[in-house]
Amino acid sequence: MAPLVTFDRATLGYGRRAVLTDISFEIPEGDFLGLVGPNGAGKTTILRALLGSLEPLGGSVTRAPTLRFGYVPQRDQVDYSFPLKVLDVVLMGRYDRIGLGRRPTDDDRRRAHQALEHVGIDRLADRALADLSGGQKQRTLIARALVGEPNVLVLDEPTNGMDLVATTQILGLVRELHERDGLTVLMVSHALNEVSNYVERIALVVEGGFRIGTTDEIMTEQALSQMYGIPVEVKSVEGHRIVVARRRTIEVEGNRV
Amino acid sequence: MFSTVLLFREALYGALVIALACSVIGVYVVLRRIVFVGAALAQISSAGIALALWLAGAGLALGGAANPTVVSLLLTLVAVLFFASGTRGRVPPDATIGITYSVAAAVGILLIAKAASGEAHDIFLSGNILGITRRDTLVLLAVTVPVLAIHALFYKELLFVSFDRETARTLGYTVRGWDLLLYLTLGVVIASAMQFAGVMLVFNFLVLPAVTGLLLSHTMRGVFFWSVVSALVAAFVGFSLSVPFDLPSGPAISAVSGVLVMVSWGIRRVLAHG
Repeated sequence: MAPLVTFDRATLGYGRRAVLTDISFEIPEGDFLGLVGPNGAGKTTILRALLGSLEPLGGSVTRAPTLRFGYVPQRDQVDYSFPLKVLDVVLMGRYDRIGLGRRPTDDDRRRAHQALEHVGIDRLADRALADLSGGQKQRTLIARALVGEPNVLVLDEPTNGMDLVATTQILGLVRELHERDGLTVLMVSHALNEVSNYVERIALVVEGGFRIGTTDEIMTEQALSQMYGIPVEVKSVEGHRIVVARRRTIEVEGNRV
Repeated sequence: MFSTVLLFREALYGALVIALACSVIGVYVVLRRIVFVGAALAQISSAGIALALWLAGAGLALGGAANPTVVSLLLTLVAVLFFASGTRGRVPPDATIGITYSVAAAVGILLIAKAASGEAHDIFLSGNILGITRRDTLVLLAVTVPVLAIHALFYKELLFVSFDRETARTLGYTVRGWDLLLYLTLGVVIASAMQFAGVMLVFNFLVLPAVTGLLLSHTMRGVFFWSVVSALVAAFVGFSLSVPFDLPSGPAISAVSGVLVMVSWGIRRVLAHG
């Protein structure tokens, strides 16, 4: 089966300035990929190229003709001063399907309720978006992405600014959507420790460097020390991986780091 | 008192039409935090009026092309294209607005200072609501009805790109195009109202009713409703008080609008703590 998205030796950047060069990877159907790296490393650049709002400077980014993204923006990208109910926000995910100048139908509202039920907050449908907790707002935005019936769910920093409980619940929900519904998921995050315990593959972006592989391939001391340029240790606590910076130096491909 | 007001009913109808148009678009102006874009556009539109009055005073009517509303509309639309383009290099957006506002204000005052008409200065500052004729009201309606129809027809699109432009973009919306449509309707309404209402009242109608709406409602429909109602009430009450007490109509309407904001704020406080 053809991949949903293919980056082929893509050079990405703004104007004439290249941020990332020679990026090649594919997102096959059913993938659960984490795009991880520190702030400013180029995650958003890859994300924009993926979504089609940034044309590559070189190489190509190819999207399958049937591809439809369900995009979940960073929570602070949304303006909560708008007096909108949760259901109104979820309905926005169907606006392009409803068509120009037309109003949502009963069927659209039914689907919006279903999406809210899917993420466990249908009881909040008539509440004001601004009155919700961070986790509830995030579930609303996920429901909006789902109601458009996407084949790839793209989440941009879904746990930013959330406490431990909300973070665990949101990441659990995303994994459930992948496992239960077979949804292809791309999760963008700076938090390697959080994401690595949920996704199946990781694309690591660090200061212009890019590496992609299965979680087992990427979450090794060798690979991470090489990418981050500092010695790191990967520990396992009750099946969960934790990456910590190490104080002693180690050898990575002949270099002491 | 009311019979005196009825003598100026054509002017009152015109004020109500201006209130209606501005209060609908004002909801977007306030929610999108482009209040000062509204102020700058109002000032540019006003400078257009000043330019037309100066041209008329200098005997350069240009075969009717120097009509105040026409000149005001042309200048405002140029500014709309500028603000909607979003490309201003290294100059921060709010600085651009500040530059536009202050230059437009200065140019307007300079032109008015040299305008031959004795009433020009007053019109430039506070408009001339009492001077609205039936024909003017019909012109205002001819602008307002299509603008409101556009806003009703494309409500969900304008709302979506205003609320979450990045997600709208991923769903295929041409965000810049919708921004331009919103700014164009804003510019047309400002330019058509400016000659009669003046900078102060147009700016007031773009901001205060929408704030009243936001204070009184938690839904978009409710915000639009209260914004329009409060603007119409302010126009009616302010105008009705200004005529018998020989007060300038624009400031009187603005003052009533301010009272309505304070009352709404009080209601909101009482409901929040009740």
